[in-house]
Amino acid sequence: MPLSRQATVEHIYATGLRNQWHPVVPSSFVAPGAMRKVTALGEPWLLFRRSDGTLAMLADRCPHRSAPLSLGIHLGDRVACWYHGVEVATDGTVSAVPGLPGCNLEGRKLVTSLPVREVGGAILAYFGDEQHPEPAELTLPEPLTDPGTDAFLCYAEWNVPWRYAVENLLDPMHGAFLHHESHSMYDGDTTAKFRIRETDRGYFFEKTDQRGVNFDWVELCRTGVDWVDLEIPYPLSAGPGGPFGIVGMVCPVDERRCGVFFWRYRRVRGWQRDTWRFLYRTLIEQRHWDVLEQDRAMLEALPADADQQENLYQHDLGVVRLRRLFRAGAESQSVTS
Amino acid sequence: MTDTTWPYLDVHQSRTHDPTPYEYKLAATLEEVFTKDGHELTDVVRGLNSRQVHAPDGTPWTEESFRTEIHRLGA
Repeated sequence: MPLSRQATVEHIYATGLRNQWHPVVPSSFVAPGAMRKVTALGEPWLLFRRSDGTLAMLADRCPHRSAPLSLGIHLGDRVACWYHGVEVATDGTVSAVPGLPGCNLEGRKLVTSLPVREVGGAILAYFGDEQHPEPAELTLPEPLTDPGTDAFLCYAEWNVPWRYAVENLLDPMHGAFLHHESHSMYDGDTTAKFRIRETDRGYFFEKTDQRGVNFDWVELCRTGVDWVDLEIPYPLSAGPGGPFGIVGMVCPVDERRCGVFFWRYRRVRGWQRDTWRFLYRTLIEQRHWDVLEQDRAMLEALPADADQQENLYQHDLGVVRLRRLFRAGAESQSVTS
Repeated sequence: MTDTTWPYLDVHQSRTHDPTPYEYKLAATLEEVFTKDGHELTDVVRGLNSRQVHAPDGTPWTEESFRTEIHRLGA
């Protein structure tokens, strides 16, 4: 099975933890009746959507001669490999071998098919190894399910190891420097003390001496999928509703690439919600994008061995804790441990 | 059938259309009103009208007409 290959500690640490959910791509990337090739956790996959909207995710590998199924033909409820026409249903079962009817491949489930869910405009998939094929319990981020909260998804693809993108979110202090020239993070002190506060689903990393002025706190949440929650004040120009929040997730694409998912959310209803949505689409989305580009420029410029030659200080406690969690996870999932 | 375009970097992911000049003007004026006049609906209606940024039919805004129009624009 694809997720067991090369499953050393280093490989898992570099390509994402197994036995949990990860975001893959926005739902809109796979239209009804369409297929899309994607890479996640270092493996090629095929997203396949039936005309009624039902989505499936298959290993992109024909069980016959390993040709990519993504080069094949969408047959409504199954895909036909282009090479020899072998047909694979969305649950991974070989439904027909046209060249040799009755062949013993028929009826066998030979292709990995991952459980998928669509949440807030994004596709989430469960990446279990052979010992953990049943999907882990998934608790969704409240800002994406609360009817009093409104959210827009922003998705971007970065040439950055997935873990560096998550670490960036567990490092609130960069807001006061990297994002000082931005519409929302220009204010507040450039010195701070931080603390870690444990929760039953992860931990807070927060400033002890400033709240509600800049990017002052972040919560790491491990609820079947890893995500962060954070909050940043809007300037007066953004109107009523208070600060905006971000639910952030990262898709480990492969060892050097990731997909970042940022839901910008705000607790607004009625005319205040409509006004925020109008301003967001017209003016604010561009400004948020400019901030995100500052992150991308910095993270893509980091050397490949960035985390091998560091001198960390108190502000990096949140990052250190994160690495420890992920490292322990990779060790426990490794086939060589 | 496949799409391997990388990287996907799209500034505008929430829009259904490019904003019209009217929408740009309304948005910029709303930001000015929120900055200088306040965040209440009465501030919005008064602020837009005092700046002569009127409803699409040219009439001054009322709370009701603003609610209706902003719902159309922001739903």
